[in-house]
Parts: sequence; structure tokens; C-alpha cells
Amino acid sequence: MRKLFNPIKDKSGEIIEFLMSSPDMPADEGLQFKIRLSIEETVENVVRYAYEDSVGWMEVGTELDVSGLLLTITLKDAGKPFNPLDSPDPDITLSAEERPIGGLGLFLCKQLMDEVVYRYEDGCNILTMTKNISQAQ
Amino acid sequence: MEVTINQEANKTLVVLNGRIDTTNADKFQQDIAPLLQGEKPDIEIDCSGMEYTSSQGLRIFLMLQKSVMARQGQLVLMHIKPQVKEVFDITGFSNIIKII
Repeated sequence: MRKLFNPIKDKSGEIIEFLMSSPDMPADEGLQFKIRLSIEETVENVVRYAYEDSVGWMEVGTELDVSGLLLTITLKDAGKPFNPLDSPDPDITLSAEERPIGGLGLFLCKQLMDEVVYRYEDGCNILTMTKNISQAQ
Repeated sequence: MEVTINQEANKTLVVLNGRIDTTNADKFQQDIAPLLQGEKPDIEIDCSGMEYTSSQGLRIFLMLQKSVMARQGQLVLMHIKPQVKEVFDITGFSNIIKII
């Protein structure tokens, strides 16, 4: 299932609901929780930061592999090149006073999905997130 | 997302219901603004109705924790659902915010 959103300004909610309503989504609520959170953090990142003035497009899709056990979510945009995997992980051992506010979204996505891969191809950022959905969580 | 705040003697009791996500995080921040005032606050938040939080919600919890500590107060999150607790665990927030 795949869809192009253009423009994407203020469309985070709509894009997230489109992906979550895909027939590829597992029925298990625990898995859905983790997948939704990963989608929200990454979609929001593109909508807010990919295009300077937020006028731009984004193509999103879901896919199951032949086994039906591996769900892949793909986000594609033509905004400024940005590899979210380059962002340093937050230091989760710091005290509340020392912890900076923010910087948790992409870290959560990396922790909750099984694999997150970024590539820059033909002027586009392409982020793929994969989750094994065979086990209830 | 619904936030109910009740002041009882020296304790502030808060009940959260619903989801904190990108669409309503700004409203959540406004709703909890009263908790950012007063000396030595003693705040208990009932999270049993909180179904979800994204990083947008986490940043507001951290902001609240920092504010409470700066005022020599205390903040406790109660009855947090396991899935939401996992988000607090992964990000290390379980170590910096008291959860019972």
C-alpha cells in the first residue's frame, strides 16, 4: 500500500493514520503501539524539517514480505538530505537536571523497530523501517 | 487527551486520559501549565488512562520534572500502562521520574 501526500504541511496525522490503516498492519495491539510510535516520530520529522517552508511531498508505503512476517514501512521525500541515523543517541544515564529536552524521537524508532535503514537516492531521502510481526508484544 | 487537576491540601492530584501525540502535545503543555507554578509542589499523576505518548509527550514530562526539582518539590507518576512504561524505560525516563 502506497500513497503520495502533497503538500505535507500539517498532514502528519493524516499520513500516520493512512499507514496505520494498512491491511499489512498486525492485529496485535502491542506491536501496533510500537509501529505507530516509530511512524509518528519519523513522519513528524519529515513534515517538520525536510522542507524549509514545509511545502513539499512525501510518499509513504507499507509492505509485507512473502512470509507475511516482516513488515516494512517506507518514507520517501525530496527535502534536504538528512540521515536520521547519524543523530547521536541520547545519553540515557544522565540525571533529570543534565538531560537535554528533546532528541528522543528517532532514538525511540531505532529501539522499537528491528531495522532502520536510510539511503539517499536520486535526490530523495528514503527511510525503511522493518519489524518482525510474528510475535505478539 | 484530557487533563484533570485537583488541589487537595498540599497535594496536587492529576488525572491523564487519552493519548499524547504530535497533534495534541501543545495542548497538553498548556493544560499542565498550572503544575509549573508554586513552591515545593507535591504532584501525583494518575496515568492509568494514558494510552500512548510520543517523544513530544516525553519532552513535556521532562520539562515538568526539571521544574519540580528546581522548586524542591516532588512528582510521581502512578498506574502507568506497561506499553507506556516501556517508552519511559527505553529512554531512561524511568530513572529520572519517579514511577510507582
